[in-house]
Amino acid sequence: MANNNPPRNAKSAAAKPSSQRSVFIGVLIAIVVVGGAAIAYLMKNPSAGEGSATAQAAYDSLQANYKNAGPAKPYVMGNPSAPVVIEEFADFECPVCGNYATVTEPDVRKQIVQAGLAYYKYYDFPLPMHHNTQFASNAAACADEQGKFWEMHDQLYAGQDSWGLNPDGETQVTDNPKPIFVGYANKIGLNAAQFEKCYDSRKYQSRVDANTAEGFKRGVNQTPTFFINGTKMPGALPYDMIKSAVDAAAATAAASAAKPPATK
Amino acid sequence: MRRMTIAALALIGAFVALYLTMYKMGAIGHLACGLGGCERVNTSSWSIFVGAPVAAWGLAFYVVTFLVALAGTSARYAARPELSYLLAAMSFVGVAFSAWLTYLELYVIEAICKYCVSSAVIVTLIFLVSVADVMAHRRTNQTS
Repeated sequence: MANNNPPRNAKSAAAKPSSQRSVFIGVLIAIVVVGGAAIAYLMKNPSAGEGSATAQAAYDSLQANYKNAGPAKPYVMGNPSAPVVIEEFADFECPVCGNYATVTEPDVRKQIVQAGLAYYKYYDFPLPMHHNTQFASNAAACADEQGKFWEMHDQLYAGQDSWGLNPDGETQVTDNPKPIFVGYANKIGLNAAQFEKCYDSRKYQSRVDANTAEGFKRGVNQTPTFFINGTKMPGALPYDMIKSAVDAAAATAAASAAKPPATK
Repeated sequence: MRRMTIAALALIGAFVALYLTMYKMGAIGHLACGLGGCERVNTSSWSIFVGAPVAAWGLAFYVVTFLVALAGTSARYAARPELSYLLAAMSFVGVAFSAWLTYLELYVIEAICKYCVSSAVIVTLIFLVSVADVMAHRRTNQTS
């Protein structure tokens, strides 16, 4: 078996294959080490894998649209003096946001916000490829005018399939989502005439734009993106992750509020 | 040497596919709607093929290719041309599949994913090296 080398290698058979083999094994080990390290790094810094020069240019030109927006005015829930602030930047037409809003957010509201652990702020961050999302943000703002933002928020996310993206993730279910939004307005008990007037005039478009501008200012480039006491956490986070981030932020806030002079 | 090159390329490809698979499964980052790019490609309806994520198919492909090429470098199989034909056939399928995926990225999803492109480049290199391997085996067969 040892003499099984092909004849054309016969001359250097003694030395070459074994040294070549050790180089080969070295190369394989190097690939495993570098590849493993790269994946470990990307697991720790998920955003490092994104963003090219063209993506940055596209981002900058989008951001330029919101240069003159006024101060952001998020929609809020909970106790403003809670030790932690959870800020969410989201797009009503984004299916991932819809998934968060319908699956995770009820727990966040009940266990964290209503329990007094955190104050919740929602900012619109409508993405350009979602054609109906600006309309949805307007509908939500008009519901807020009548004190029912969160009710409309829940209707919009739960009903995404009837006014948002088709399952292909590209095309929209409808070109005219207004009748569906008016249906939601009636369902949650809004004054429909007032709602329609507000919606048709895009009364709160500037508020939507200002919230979007705030997202751009903070480097938001995907939805949902959360900030928990200012720490950016992109993606539809599971409940456990939000809870542990809130607990950690509360502990940090408590520690700095107590300001222990020289203990530890 | 050529099979060693194929094995090394396949191992690199396996890491690229592993990253994309982990991304798809949510182990790296979390799914989100982005302004374009990988997320869009890897969350589009095209990112699932016959019930499994495309990235997972890629990972399986690279692992099998790596193992076949690695076996091909052993003294026992080094002179066997069958493995060269097998590698060439497998990587041809890989190239065709990657070409279809790149077409989808460019013309249907209209978003490009650099990891997906690097996988397409790697599989093309594997194909070229395996064709060279097939030709080398043919030449030795003719001379012997």
